[in-house]
Amino acid sequence: MAKVVIESLTKVYPEKTGPGVRAVNAIDLTVEDREFMVLVGPSGCGKSTTLRMIAGLEEISAGTIAIDGRVVNQVLPKDRDIAMVFQNYALYPHMSVYDNLAFGLKMRNFPKPEIDARVREAAALLGLDQLLDRRPKALSGGQRQRVAVGRAIVRKPKVFLFDEPLSNLDAKMRVSTRTEISKLHARLGATMIYVTHDQVEAMTMGDRICVMKDGDIMQVAEPLTLYNHPENLFVAGFIGSPPMNFFSGTLRRTDRRIEFVEAREPAREAAPNGSNPLSLPLPEELARRGAGCIDQPVVLGIRPEHVHDALTTTGADPARTAEVRIEVAEPMGAETYLYLSTGVTNFVARVRPTDRFEVNQRIKVHFDLDHAHLFDPVTGRVLK
Amino acid sequence: MIAVLAGYAAWVVFPMLWVAYSSLKADAAIFRDAFALPLAGDLHPENYTRAWHEARFGDYFFNSVLVTATSVALIVALGAMAAYALARFYHPAGRAVFWLFLAGLMIPAQLAVIPLFFELRSLGLLNSRAGLILVYTANGLPFAIFVLAGFFRSLPRTLYEAAVIDGCGEFAAFWRVLLPLAKPGLVTVAIFQFIGVWKEYFFAFMLVSGDLEGRARTLPLGLANLSITAQYRSDYGMLFAGIVLVTIPILLVYLLLQRQIVKGIATGALKG
Repeated sequence: MAKVVIESLTKVYPEKTGPGVRAVNAIDLTVEDREFMVLVGPSGCGKSTTLRMIAGLEEISAGTIAIDGRVVNQVLPKDRDIAMVFQNYALYPHMSVYDNLAFGLKMRNFPKPEIDARVREAAALLGLDQLLDRRPKALSGGQRQRVAVGRAIVRKPKVFLFDEPLSNLDAKMRVSTRTEISKLHARLGATMIYVTHDQVEAMTMGDRICVMKDGDIMQVAEPLTLYNHPENLFVAGFIGSPPMNFFSGTLRRTDRRIEFVEAREPAREAAPNGSNPLSLPLPEELARRGAGCIDQPVVLGIRPEHVHDALTTTGADPARTAEVRIEVAEPMGAETYLYLSTGVTNFVARVRPTDRFEVNQRIKVHFDLDHAHLFDPVTGRVLK
Repeated sequence: MIAVLAGYAAWVVFPMLWVAYSSLKADAAIFRDAFALPLAGDLHPENYTRAWHEARFGDYFFNSVLVTATSVALIVALGAMAAYALARFYHPAGRAVFWLFLAGLMIPAQLAVIPLFFELRSLGLLNSRAGLILVYTANGLPFAIFVLAGFFRSLPRTLYEAAVIDGCGEFAAFWRVLLPLAKPGLVTVAIFQFIGVWKEYFFAFMLVSGDLEGRARTLPLGLANLSITAQYRSDYGMLFAGIVLVTIPILLVYLLLQRQIVKGIATGALKG
């Protein structure tokens, strides 16, 4: 098992004219021994390219990748001691499940009894015992996925690489396989690097998550750190479902306090419903963070679970309450999502499922600003 | 509709049956009533032995089998490797090479027969099986590459990547993973080339008809020879026996591989 150290890793796809497309932009990342690292981001963010460079399937334009202390830039994929699970599984259609599992060992000239033992061990672990004679064509999606994982396990590689392995499964299968892979990680204690575009997968599976965008790393942290302390607007908006609400505005100093005042959008000023921009006094800690940006534009970020129905909130500070209009109410069962509007900004609140709400009803909501964040709208960075 | 099809089938099949049963008749019987079935007491299977020995069909048959088998094997082996390389790897010259092969498919090789003749003569390969094999292989490669490149392109790239991670080098990935998956294409190519080479007359006539010891002549040449001499010797029974001998292998291939042939035609049409 091994540590993976990535330094100034860059991938440039050449173009006929111009400097080429930078898919990965001088990133640094260390994946610790036995760590489950998730690379997450929207499509085109460079996460798969990064994984493929670690696998050796993609040439490295600049920078280094070291696995277990050895720089592997010039090492062939087969000699990097990695295994990879592909999005489309890439099972060999002309081989039985047994041969699919055994192929990597055969190519490495393992003795037959050892191959057999390892294949049967992996098959038992993944519940594939009864399917060893079948061809991939005769398997369900979930079974194929398990064979793909099994093909990686038998090799006992230093590093496991997963390239969106769950995206071809139906929703139910995806959840159960997700937990299976997590269990597998706990059991094998192997270093795993997992690429996904699904932030739920990232949050539930990763020891740490690396959020990427446009070839850059936006933040690397443990799931809850990422959720509670996003470093920038992108991470704040990407992690969490429904996503964090953002309000554009400015900070104003009144006699004793600092207030966030939502910007009026000129275009919306004449809206028939009448806009009712927020004006919220900041709590001490947030005020301290925003103190350097008085009278400057900022973005206030607050998660849907920190916006409450004022009627049912005990001890709601009336100053941090605002009247807003309900646009849509989505009962999810365990909770209800209210899509609200201040007249300027649309935002979401998670509220108790037992209360009933009408569309276009005006309600008072309370903003729990102890859990809010302030961002610089130009750099996108959180104010600390 | 059925009547039309049945009529058409009879129209096509009857001449073949006619040749087949006439091959068992004596010449006199053929002239007496050309379409009558052979009489049970008057069968002449010796037409076949005479064709085999007198008309040297035994030698020609051996030549044909050797030339066809070697050519088809070479076409499939070289074609698969070339097609794989052209489909899998990007190289600036790759496109040019591919178009060159395609040009070979579009230009009738007969146009090149005179330079080809001199080329083989200077190589000392005229009137030899090796020369014929060389020409048939070169002639068959464009089609093979055209079909197989389409096959290889249709295979997902991740299969190659999985093989490479599983420990394959370039050749092992080709040989153990991608080539087996191109099997339908290989079979298609092999069948079409078998039929094409087995009945090939033009090149054989140009390049090996000078061979008089029967060491290079193939069956189509022998048959043509027989049909010319049979006219003057009026030995139609032997001629028909010769035709049957030439036809049997192709008929067998059709019967055994009918499904692949039809599938191959359809695939070829789509993969282009």
